Amino acid sequence: MIDPRVVRGVVGVAGLLAVAEAAGRAGLMDTRIMPLASTVVARAAGLAVDGEFLQDVSATLGVWAAGLVVAILLAVPVGVLLGSLPRVEAAVRPLIEFLRPIPSVALIPLVALIAASDARVKVTVIVYAACWPVLVNTMYGLHDVDPVAKDTLRAFGFGRLAVLLRVALPSAAPFVLTGVRLAASVALVVAVSAELLAGGAGGIGVYIIKAGSGYRVDLMVAAAVWAGLIGLAVNALLVRAERVLFRWHAARAGVAA
Amino acid sequence: MRRIGRRSAIGLVVALTLTGCGGANTSTESGTGNGLEKTTLTVGVLPIADVAALFIAQQRGFFKAEGLTVNPQIVASTVVAIPKLVSGAVDITLGNYFSVLSAQEKQMAKFRILADTFQAKPDVFDIVVKGDSPIKSVKDLKGKKISVASLNSIGTLAVDSTLRVNGLDPKDVQYVPMAFPDAPGKLAAGQTDAAWLTEPFLTGVQKDMGARKIADTMTGAMADFPIAGWTTTDSVLQKYPKTMAAFQRAIVKAQQIADSDREAVEKVLPSYTKITPEAASVITLGSYPSSLNPTRIQRVADIMLEYGYLKSKMDVTPLLVPMPQ
Repeated sequence: MIDPRVVRGVVGVAGLLAVAEAAGRAGLMDTRIMPLASTVVARAAGLAVDGEFLQDVSATLGVWAAGLVVAILLAVPVGVLLGSLPRVEAAVRPLIEFLRPIPSVALIPLVALIAASDARVKVTVIVYAACWPVLVNTMYGLHDVDPVAKDTLRAFGFGRLAVLLRVALPSAAPFVLTGVRLAASVALVVAVSAELLAGGAGGIGVYIIKAGSGYRVDLMVAAAVWAGLIGLAVNALLVRAERVLFRWHAARAGVAA
Repeated sequence: MRRIGRRSAIGLVVALTLTGCGGANTSTESGTGNGLEKTTLTVGVLPIADVAALFIAQQRGFFKAEGLTVNPQIVASTVVAIPKLVSGAVDITLGNYFSVLSAQEKQMAKFRILADTFQAKPDVFDIVVKGDSPIKSVKDLKGKKISVASLNSIGTLAVDSTLRVNGLDPKDVQYVPMAFPDAPGKLAAGQTDAAWLTEPFLTGVQKDMGARKIADTMTGAMADFPIAGWTTTDSVLQKYPKTMAAFQRAIVKAQQIADSDREAVEKVLPSYTKITPEAASVITLGSYPSSLNPTRIQRVADIMLEYGYLKSKMDVTPLLVPMPQ
């Protein structure tokens, strides 16, 4: 049996495409500016077998993965530290709240002036954007640990580290993964934006620059569609990972599986 | 594909965590038979007709003959290209003279120009309006919105000059900064009244939406205006003089081909932009000078000063790198 939610999703997408196609054909949308939905779908299908585009996709995924991994390696330990030291957290919190809303894309020209290679520019801005959801979720996860469980362990003479490893971290893990899932989407958005702004040897954003400079709106939109599809796939994978890894958490939190 | 992605990801992580600073230069710095200080150059290019000669040189093996490997890196605009040059992410970049001279005056770096790349010709940079627009001539632009690629750029300079020739002041219009690919849509939607465009957009909007040309901005004082050159910094030039000379020799050979053989340009254009071969065959091209003439480049600085884009007079001769023998 196919999941009814998948069916509904497909119906939603098909409906949107049909409306866009009809609007284009009826002359409501200027097809010289925004190509027909059917044209975009055909171009997007063509890109799937275009070797050059596939290289661009792999370049984007490369910087995306690098940025995401660095963000996780940075944000999780810092989040654990701050989450377990409330006084330090209180001191750092205003700084975090100040830095967090700065759009990392706005930092690109500045980072480009400092970073000596193209990949570094991109990874730096991706890390900047992606570490906040992981950091904040990790901190919240540690706040949310059941105090009775912690006290019980302490009563049995376990030290701080043991409490952290046996209770706090496992309990916070689902929050961390949610943070990673949010960060994964943010990182993809920033990766493509950074390519669009800073350029580079390859990437989905670079492909869009090349398509744009050749006056090919159809290819620009088709490449953007692929960026969206990749985001969708990444999100779906991580949602599934959450369900499989943290079934107990979903049950406890009362989230319908 | 996935394996490459993963491997490069791991490599990046390692590079980032282990090395705090310093150039992650992939280029080979060891000497070769030709005595080059390094053999791999990363070159910033915009996906536009200006850089056709670089790809001609690439395809015909002119760089290889000099012992060079050139890795083109696409940049969206000179605004991004110059910081990349300053940081060392690229060794050489296509630099439009206007932006390079502005950055030179602001002392972002000591820039050096290795070779001339592109020069305006009639109808390479025009102002267009919608087919049914009430705007018939430049005079009608008073109080209107004109899109230009960016503010304080060759675009505003060219339009300023056209306005002044027609008795208007640059303050009489409202400039809207907008990347070329976005401009046709905004013009059609009526969000701008006119657009300053170049190819392939110029041919595109005239063909697709019946846009009408109201002025060629590269006439009079702006006729045959120098547009862009291959730019590096003085520190790169001091460090790699022989490599830069090799680049100059190869690119000038290709400039000559680009300037005399239009078909050669048409053939390489679709390889680095997504322009269709049909469009490439009808667009208007500028010229590809093969010498770096101080008198010609000086014009850019002088006109920029006249229109207030430079604060003081600038002698461009020290910026130009003589052609190697």
